[in-house]
Amino acid sequence: MESPNKKHRILIADDSEMNRAILEAILGERFDIVGVENGRQAVAELQAHSIEYSLVLLDIVMPEMDGFEVLSYMNSYRWIDDVPVIMISSENSPDFIERAYDLGASDYIQRPFDAAVVLKRVQNTITLYAKQRKLMGIVADQVYKREKSSAMMVAILSHIVEFRNGESGLHTLHINKLTELLLSRLSAKGGRYYMSKDDITIVSLASSLHDIGKISVPDGILNKPGKLTDEEYAIMKGHSMAGAEMLGNLPLWENEPLVKAAYEIARWHHERYDGRGYPDGLKGDDIPITAQVVSIADVYDALTSQRCYKAAFSHEKAMEMILGGECGAFNPTLLECLSEAGEDIKAALADTSQSGYDDRELSRITDELLRKNEVSVTGRAEKLLEFEQAKTAFTGQYTDELLFSYSDDPACLRLSHRLAEVLGVPPFTVDPKKKETLFLSAGDSGKALIKKLADSTDGETTDFETDIDMTLNGSARPVHAICRSVWSDELDAKRLGIVGKLIPLKGESSK
Amino acid sequence: MTLEAAYAAFGGDYQECLGRLRSEVLIKKFCQKFLDDGSYELLRSSMESGNTEEAFRAAHTMKGVAQNLAYTKLGKVSADLTEALRPGTPYDEAKVKELYKLVSDSYNETVTALKAVFEE
Repeated sequence: MESPNKKHRILIADDSEMNRAILEAILGERFDIVGVENGRQAVAELQAHSIEYSLVLLDIVMPEMDGFEVLSYMNSYRWIDDVPVIMISSENSPDFIERAYDLGASDYIQRPFDAAVVLKRVQNTITLYAKQRKLMGIVADQVYKREKSSAMMVAILSHIVEFRNGESGLHTLHINKLTELLLSRLSAKGGRYYMSKDDITIVSLASSLHDIGKISVPDGILNKPGKLTDEEYAIMKGHSMAGAEMLGNLPLWENEPLVKAAYEIARWHHERYDGRGYPDGLKGDDIPITAQVVSIADVYDALTSQRCYKAAFSHEKAMEMILGGECGAFNPTLLECLSEAGEDIKAALADTSQSGYDDRELSRITDELLRKNEVSVTGRAEKLLEFEQAKTAFTGQYTDELLFSYSDDPACLRLSHRLAEVLGVPPFTVDPKKKETLFLSAGDSGKALIKKLADSTDGETTDFETDIDMTLNGSARPVHAICRSVWSDELDAKRLGIVGKLIPLKGESSK
Repeated sequence: MTLEAAYAAFGGDYQECLGRLRSEVLIKKFCQKFLDDGSYELLRSSMESGNTEEAFRAAHTMKGVAQNLAYTKLGKVSADLTEALRPGTPYDEAKVKELYKLVSDSYNETVTALKAVFEE
């Protein structure tokens, strides 16, 4: 947050010291001015500090790198989305002016200029950009909330189905991931198979609901250990049509892409490319591509998962069986995609832990957020955040220190690689209650620390240290814990989370 | 000599400058600064060494500075020299030399008149 008294900072790029001095004399009272004498220096300054600038005043003719090149850089790094540029030049040919505007300049001031006009235009441009940025922040928040709730609702629904099936909870996640991987490959083939990233995300989400119709299949049949009778099998097969009916009877939402895709998938994910599937016996490309993809994903996951009637096949064996036509008839193009995506699929599903899912889910939401055009304009902050996250992940992976961080929203706990190892827990978990598991082995001293963490409500970033007893590598050790609770820099401060470091002490536990 | 009289002597427009920069103090400050400005020196050295590209930039800067301070005559001749030196324009040595001489003369007139004001 910018405090109201802080002066906006302006970068002036002009090779003439006189010109910079004149502008500084006009603007210096109200703004914080930094001057550079050529385009290269301007780019270097923005590279390092673009976030600190509210505006760039840019000359065109400069040595080393001219103003147009600076604009090009600002475009390719997307700084121009957040830092407006006003050109100041004695060039007055329409070509120059037009080119500057085309490259994203907000305004063009010709020399000789009027001091009052320069001041006014600079102020206006900064105010407009600040307002626009604020609005974008609001939109981004809304989009984030909306995406988060719909993904959550779908996850809840699919969990209900899985819960009743006695499935692990991983099946839906696998189908999601497989659908996404296959559709991305397919879309890359272009032509009629092309699909936007947004659509791929929607279809992957919709794939979670493929078995929703199973809710209408009686328990006794759904979870029958032995072989189904013909009659029971017929009822079981009814789940695809039942799912389609549920999804088709949503008059308010029937035109929503998510509902449309979910309908196609629920109804036709047991059709076969040769026309011998159910419920409609559709053949070839009469089967919507969404359903074809989920169908192949469903088969792959069934093969590689353990079921009460069979062991899990290896990835290689499953691929061989599907590609060899042992598990039904599929679209040859899709089989090609499956074959191409083989390694990605193996890698993506190898990590079957729940924590892996949470990580993916988070990155999906973030990804989606970044993909929305209207939001990508706030890119700078997101990119910085992304970089910080990557940095944290890197540090966590390679340091030998026992570090942890806990963020309140979204609630997730991240441990350095080493800490996860000595505690024997996953390095990344998303769950508001998980932060406590970190100190569970610490008994009463751990509880006291948890309470202290929970009680830190002073609204200021503070550090505190304490000694606790923890179980590391299976044996009790005294540990010195240093924690910092981090608060947002706003008037109405919110706690963002806790970061901390554990230092094992020499000697035996006091217990 | 007053600054306004000096402007009249070297072909500038003091009132126009005052209208734009709105401060006699500022004009005085920048006119004084102009005496130390390196643009002319850069123009002279690049003309002598035959570096047309740098001469173009120096003339261009001179034009911008002169126009901002309403040194009308110097701004005009610098603009003409800038165009003659602009990359992509056919290079006419005789014309460039002639225009450079006009810029030099006007610059010297300007500096002489300004020095008279500030060294009084």
